[in-house]
Amino acid sequence: MNNSTKRISLLLIAVILCLSLTGAAVWALDLGNLLKVGGVAFLVTQFGGQIDKFITSALGERGAAAAGATKVVPILSLGAGGYIGAAQVVGSPESVKQVKAVFQVEGKIGSFRPRIFIPAAVSKASTAPERAKGVGVSAVIEFKI
Amino acid sequence: MARHTTTENADASGCASKLMYNVTDFRMKEIEPMKRRVKTPTLLAAALFAALLAATAFSAAVVTTRAVERNGKPAAEVLVGNASVVELVTSVGIYSPMQRAELVASRLQAALKTNPKPADVRVAAVRGGRALYLGSTALVTAGNREALAQKSTPRALATSWRKRLVQAMETQQAVTATAVGSQPASAPAEPTASAQPADAPAPRAPGEIDWTGTSQKWVPIISLEQAGLSIGAAQVAGPTEQVKKVKAVAQLRLDFKEMARIYAYIPASSINVTKLDRVQGVSVWATGDIQLINF
Repeated sequence: MNNSTKRISLLLIAVILCLSLTGAAVWALDLGNLLKVGGVAFLVTQFGGQIDKFITSALGERGAAAAGATKVVPILSLGAGGYIGAAQVVGSPESVKQVKAVFQVEGKIGSFRPRIFIPAAVSKASTAPERAKGVGVSAVIEFKI
Repeated sequence: MARHTTTENADASGCASKLMYNVTDFRMKEIEPMKRRVKTPTLLAAALFAALLAATAFSAAVVTTRAVERNGKPAAEVLVGNASVVELVTSVGIYSPMQRAELVASRLQAALKTNPKPADVRVAAVRGGRALYLGSTALVTAGNREALAQKSTPRALATSWRKRLVQAMETQQAVTATAVGSQPASAPAEPTASAQPADAPAPRAPGEIDWTGTSQKWVPIISLEQAGLSIGAAQVAGPTEQVKKVKAVAQLRLDFKEMARIYAYIPASSINVTKLDRVQGVSVWATGDIQLINF
């Protein structure tokens, strides 16, 4: 595991711990949830390339595959329930390489469903994760926490 | 969970044992449904993930890529089964040989799923060289730079790719036919040079997307899901030229009860999102929608 992956993992763990300790989370997080989040994130990191090919070929059957620089990274969704899974990101090749995870903030106001994606990147120059510029989301597969 | 004795609250040994039984019985009744609630979602999630990985392994089994070295420089090969069908040694724009090979592999993988015949493999003259086609899918272009790097001509290089792809497809067909106990199909007729359409559309070269300028805009989003049809707005971003082409975003969404969900965003060049004409290089940053129709 390289330094950037470690930093993202630590950030994820810190966010989850803070939410669970302060009670700011909408749902209760227990050890099982933390294991599920960590396990899925680990699997997505390990099998990202294969999941990327699977998504590309599945969309390719409908002529809707994303060409160019794509990558699959873990996604953590907060707001309208918690979800953890895999997101395929698309964008400029240099930026896509730096993306390590995606955070999704979603809400529900009546029947209106707003949703914002925040791809987190770690560049060589910077030590802290930051929002990746020029990168967005193409497809998501996620499981309820 | 440790059992707490209740003897201190009982004044006789008979009462104590009865109380212990009642406490244990109560706890079992409480714990069993809790275990079921925890186990069922976890098992379903694990099963879904295992199915996903199995499908991935299957789909990735036919067409693969491999990094190789040619004259001390990095190159890449596209393989069908164990046979190398396309070799790329030059970069195009920002795409390395390996990235180009992965693009070719994904196109080839998608084209092979339509069960094409070896006769569907052809070479066509396009702007800047010769392109290798499988059916209507342009797989890769043999340009002047690539041909020079491989000490060949665009036509000879594309033709060699075609021969290798035809051979690999025939081998795959023979393996499949043997597996099901039937005879392999007879060799297809070789496409002739006169059959090559000179005015065939140029395939999308990997380096065509210009990332020097990027922009973003809001477009309508139409979401088709099991629950119904939703409409709203989506913020898309990407290369300026590509973003200009986007007219709408199609969202395909599948929900597996409360357990899992899959959704894909397809920025389309037409408001008629049923065509799914994707604009490459553009991605989605944010969305907001309201459900219009319930199924």
